[in-house]
Amino acid sequence: MKPNEQDREQSILDAINGGLILLDTGGRVQSWNAWMERASGFSAAEVTGKTLTEIFPDTDLKRLPSAITAALASSASTWLTNALNPNLLPLRSRSSLPVLHDIAVSPIGAEPVTGCLIFVTDVTMTTNRERYLRQQQNARYDAVVESAPDVIITLDHEGRIQFANPAAVSHLGYSVAELIGKEAVELFETRLDFVATWRSAMASPLSTRPIELVARRKDGSQTYLEASASQWKTGSRYFVTVILRDINQRRATDAALRASEVQARNAAAALTELNQTLEQRVQDRTAQLTSAEDALRQSQKMEAIGSLTGGIAHDFNNLLAVISGNLHLLKHDVAGNEPAERRVKNALDGVARSAKLSTQLLAFARRQPLAPKVINLGRFIEDMDDIIGKAVGEGVTVEVKIGPELWNTLIDPGNVENALLNLAINARDAMDGQGSLTIEASNAILDADYVRMHADVVRGEYVLIAVTDTGEGMTPEVMTKVFEPFFTTKPEGRGTGLGLSMVYGFVRQSGGHIKIDSEVGRGTTIRLYLPRSLQIEEQLVDIDAMPVVGGNEMVLVAEDDEAVRDTVVALLNDLGYRVLKAKDAQSALSIVESGMPIDVLFTDVVMPGTLKSTELARKARERIPHLAVLFTSGYSQDAISNSGRLDENVELLSKPYTRDALARKLRHVLANATQKKLMQANFDAALLTGKYPAKKLLSVLVCEDDPLILYSTIELVRHMGHQATPAADAHTALSILATKPIDIVLTDVGLPDMSGAKLVEEALLQNPELAIIFASGQDQGSDVSSSNGAITLPKPFTYDALAEAIASAARKGRRP
Amino acid sequence: MTDAHPVMLTELEMDALTELVNLGVSNAALSLREMVREEVLLSVPKVTIMTREDAIASLGEGDGRKLVAVHQHFHGDIEGRALLIFPETKSMELVRAVVGGDMPLEELMELEQEALAETGNVILNACLGTIANNLQHSLQISLPEVVYGHGAEFFRLAPPPNVADGVLFIYINFVVRERDITGYIAMLLDLPSLITLKGMLGRFIERVGESGIVTRSHEA
Repeated sequence: MKPNEQDREQSILDAINGGLILLDTGGRVQSWNAWMERASGFSAAEVTGKTLTEIFPDTDLKRLPSAITAALASSASTWLTNALNPNLLPLRSRSSLPVLHDIAVSPIGAEPVTGCLIFVTDVTMTTNRERYLRQQQNARYDAVVESAPDVIITLDHEGRIQFANPAAVSHLGYSVAELIGKEAVELFETRLDFVATWRSAMASPLSTRPIELVARRKDGSQTYLEASASQWKTGSRYFVTVILRDINQRRATDAALRASEVQARNAAAALTELNQTLEQRVQDRTAQLTSAEDALRQSQKMEAIGSLTGGIAHDFNNLLAVISGNLHLLKHDVAGNEPAERRVKNALDGVARSAKLSTQLLAFARRQPLAPKVINLGRFIEDMDDIIGKAVGEGVTVEVKIGPELWNTLIDPGNVENALLNLAINARDAMDGQGSLTIEASNAILDADYVRMHADVVRGEYVLIAVTDTGEGMTPEVMTKVFEPFFTTKPEGRGTGLGLSMVYGFVRQSGGHIKIDSEVGRGTTIRLYLPRSLQIEEQLVDIDAMPVVGGNEMVLVAEDDEAVRDTVVALLNDLGYRVLKAKDAQSALSIVESGMPIDVLFTDVVMPGTLKSTELARKARERIPHLAVLFTSGYSQDAISNSGRLDENVELLSKPYTRDALARKLRHVLANATQKKLMQANFDAALLTGKYPAKKLLSVLVCEDDPLILYSTIELVRHMGHQATPAADAHTALSILATKPIDIVLTDVGLPDMSGAKLVEEALLQNPELAIIFASGQDQGSDVSSSNGAITLPKPFTYDALAEAIASAARKGRRP
Repeated sequence: MTDAHPVMLTELEMDALTELVNLGVSNAALSLREMVREEVLLSVPKVTIMTREDAIASLGEGDGRKLVAVHQHFHGDIEGRALLIFPETKSMELVRAVVGGDMPLEELMELEQEALAETGNVILNACLGTIANNLQHSLQISLPEVVYGHGAEFFRLAPPPNVADGVLFIYINFVVRERDITGYIAMLLDLPSLITLKGMLGRFIERVGESGIVTRSHEA
């Protein structure tokens, strides 16, 4: 090249407003323009022939060297942004300020590559401007958030913490890095309460009402916080900000105040008594001791009876299961033979009655499996008004008094209903059909003095239900026996004598206390003390309103009793399932580990062998994630945790069960497990292979109480391109419908607070043009999809089925 | 969706290509690890070839289905474009995985473009580079560009679509800092390039023998 051309080329390079470096195939500098000279402080002469590492020996060049290699060896171009690689080269501006820069590395020449070009761009101004703008925007907000004494965290749509303010760090003891990305629910002891608050914040744009939560700091200490949450969105992403206020001081003060008030009162009373009746007290003391001993003996007696009864009932249940199962099968075999059918039916009725009897015995023995839920008894009892009225008849006036701010309690609702009915009927009989019955509910605290006087009760906060009648009353002798099974004061043929014993067993098994006060000729009051629960009220679901179908999945049956096992296998085969059987947990586990494609594990809770059924379920789930598990039990004391409560996520079918109950329960657990499995798999596939592009943007309201299914469905609908809004129950759904424009409602049939059908009725009243899709775990009868032209989407549904349903709903929609 | 395409690759050629893609992606994992300085696991569940129209149809043309892609152009013995595509909602996950730390949300959103561009750049370079080197031909690979939109738009970038164009789909999944992200790489090639590619695969198979043993050519 002639000198002129070289000069011209160089002057072009020097005129460029950016750094330009040319490297030869060995990575050594061939050209270094004027911009680079100014910014680096090195002249072209100083650097020619050197590699970048030699020119900047004290600088960590990060990915720059490998980018150069990639350009020379593979003709690849690389971009290194300032955002991710700040201050890569030590460059300064004319005012000696650092130059923020992007670097682009590209090959020169092709086949062969003759060198590498590095281009440096100054982005200082842009970056500073962006930073300034952001600071401006955030200044006011930041000032509040950064200096707030309250803990403020922001959660993304998956409940993970995306932001935590300084108060969060100092109060909870975690560093910011530890908090970001963590699932917020892990911070709390009261997880149900937290999840409820988060859910309602996600569901509606209004802030949630403040609620008390208990959190655990990093050092393990507990802290009481008042939480309120609200949602916000940016672009298509939803977030929830939660503000947590420290109320430890307030609680401590309240508790201290209460404690000192109680103390003061007790002290005053004690002093008066002391002054007045010294001798009397000695006498009373002796009497107390005697009655405490009596109470102890009484409860020991009850324990003994309970043991005996429980044992008999368990064996009895197993036998009943065999009889029942075989009768069901027999019913099929004799179909068409009238007399035979009738006899089988009678036999089945007998079995049903026997089953009821054994359930009652188990209730007394405190060994029935309970399914407790957090409920507010005040509402519950008021709802029972009608039933109680009918049970006691016209001659008895019923009065219900519910105390203010009644606490919640963790109790099996079915059994509470039973207990109250039993008490009401007993009261009616005691009054001979004429009189008055009062049911009161109030908060109560059983203190140390009370506890000393009565056996088997602990101090604490309780919800008290008192049932009072104006009947003939009981003598003290009768009172000691009244809870025993089969004890009755009624003439032959009236009642089984099991009612009160069931109530006794149930209350005790729920951790409560029962007390009778009675006066002959005046009446009786029975008091049930049920432990207070600090959790929020749950809503109740009824799965019995579903039709019965079989299936063809593979079921693994684990049951040690041979007769019962054979019967179950026959029943399942009859329903169409493929069955594998095992006689204990260990052999069941071997079958699972052999790799058989099992869909559901159906196992007795108590079986011989070292492996427990709960362990079996856990290990089986390790091998087959989303495996549906159904437990069954005649009775059990150990496996269903200490006081007969079901562990979370455990489904239980109590023996003896009818064929229908078995069929329904199996479909229920299978549908849920399959839905979860399908959601997981289809979600990923759905991202990329959606065959149903949305023709237009629709607004879909998804109503479903299972959180995993709800949020997976929301994601799927959003990926189809529609707007999706979540609602975990019918009331939330209705309030969303009132405030937001919705085109399609996709709802589960069974919701916690009202049936899906009812929700749809109400929704259509608000907006007759809504299109409806029902999702459910069973084939639906006509009652659901009839009049309003709704579409049914059987669970478990695939991505395709969901898209198809939404497309049809959109077509059917009566929108203009 | 069938693999019907004018230029059919034999089963052996498809295997060889898959092998190369796997190698390319594992080299990409190494490069990515260098960038984020954390364990990176990249896996390739599936590789297919289809026509451009099929690809467009499968991604959908609807108003929804928002995607973000890093796009690089390559030319040399074969010519076309390569895209690394994610659902838009996952892009924040990726940014956090790559940048790490406890950066506030707003700062993270600002970095999004750069983080996506650099990550895509690293992955596509490693992938394309490995394939090119093993097939013993050279490719010039451009700088990355981040584009938002729908599958249809990505595949309709100029030059205008041709019935005989092919799209190589590589469905990948990667785990960084315990985040699990699914996306895919699509390479668009015109008919002449596809034919050339087929030829190269044939020669590669001869060179390497039917056992398909491939050595790593990229330094970690």
